[in-house]
Amino acid sequence: MREFVTKRLYKDVEGTCTGRYGYIVAVVAILEIQTGKIIPGYGSAEFQVKYSAILFKPFKNEVLDAVVDTVNKMGFFANAGPLQIFVSKALIPSDMELDLNSNPPSLHSNDQKIEKGTLVRIKIAGTRIDATNIYAIGTIKEDYLGVIE
Amino acid sequence: MPITKNRLIRPQAEESLDAAKLDLGADFQDAECLLISEVKVLLEAQYDTKKEEKNLDETYTKTLEYVQQFSRYTNRDTIKEVRALLKPTELEPFECAQLGNLCCSEFDEAKTLIPSIGNKISDDDLDSLLKQMDSLKKYQG
Repeated sequence: MREFVTKRLYKDVEGTCTGRYGYIVAVVAILEIQTGKIIPGYGSAEFQVKYSAILFKPFKNEVLDAVVDTVNKMGFFANAGPLQIFVSKALIPSDMELDLNSNPPSLHSNDQKIEKGTLVRIKIAGTRIDATNIYAIGTIKEDYLGVIE
Repeated sequence: MPITKNRLIRPQAEESLDAAKLDLGADFQDAECLLISEVKVLLEAQYDTKKEEKNLDETYTKTLEYVQQFSRYTNRDTIKEVRALLKPTELEPFECAQLGNLCCSEFDEAKTLIPSIGNKISDDDLDSLLKQMDSLKKYQG
C-alpha cells in the first residue's frame, strides 16, 4: 500500500508546475503518509502525504544563468532548466547589433556575441504564471549581466 | 455594470514578490535554498531508478541538463566546504545560495547582483568570502 501511494505521488506531482510553488522537479523524501480515507460514493481512497521536494521558482529581480536558445528580431529566448526566459530588444544593451543573416542568427557588439548556445547571466524582470507553466522576461541591460566569459 | 477595460483582461496572479527585497512569499521565506551543485548530486542519485521506471519527465531532464552545465563545484567535499564558509555569516539561505551559485569575483559584483545583501556583511568580509570560495573552486579535485 505504502509503495503504491509513494509511486502515485511521484507520478502525480513530479514535473508539475504551479504558480504557488513553481516547478516541482523531484520528490526527495516522504515524511508521512496518513491513514487513507475512502471517499463515500466512490471506490477510491484519499491519502494525505507530507513530503519534501526540490522546487524551482523564479523570483522577480533574481539573477540566474541561462543558455540562449533562439535569437530573433524581437530579442532572444534563453532556457534555465525548465524555465524559458525572454529578453526583449529593449532590455538588451543598445550597442549589441542584431544580425539575422548569420547562421545561427546572432546579436553582437565589438567584443561579445550572443547566439544559440551562449551562456548568459540574466536578471528576471517579471514572471507570468498560467495554469501549467511559468514564463519569465529578463534583462541583461544592467551591470554584471550578459554573456558569461 | 459597464464593461470596463479591466474586466476584459484575464485575471492573473499578481506577482508582488521581489528577490531584491528578499520578499519570497510565505511559502518560500523560510525554505532551504540549494546550490546548483547540490541539486546536481540529488538529481543524479535518482537518475538510475527513474530511468528504470521510465519516469523521466521533461522538467526533470531539463533541470538535470541545466545543473550539469552550471554546477560550479565538482565534488561533495568542496560543496561541504562552501557550505561551511557560508554558514557563519548572517546571510539568509537565499543569499547564501545565490552567492554560491553566481560565483562573483568581487564584492561590488555580488552586491549588485544580490542587492538584498546590502549592509549585512562588510565589504572586506564579503571580499574574503568570495576569494575563499574561488580558491576552493580552483583547487577542487
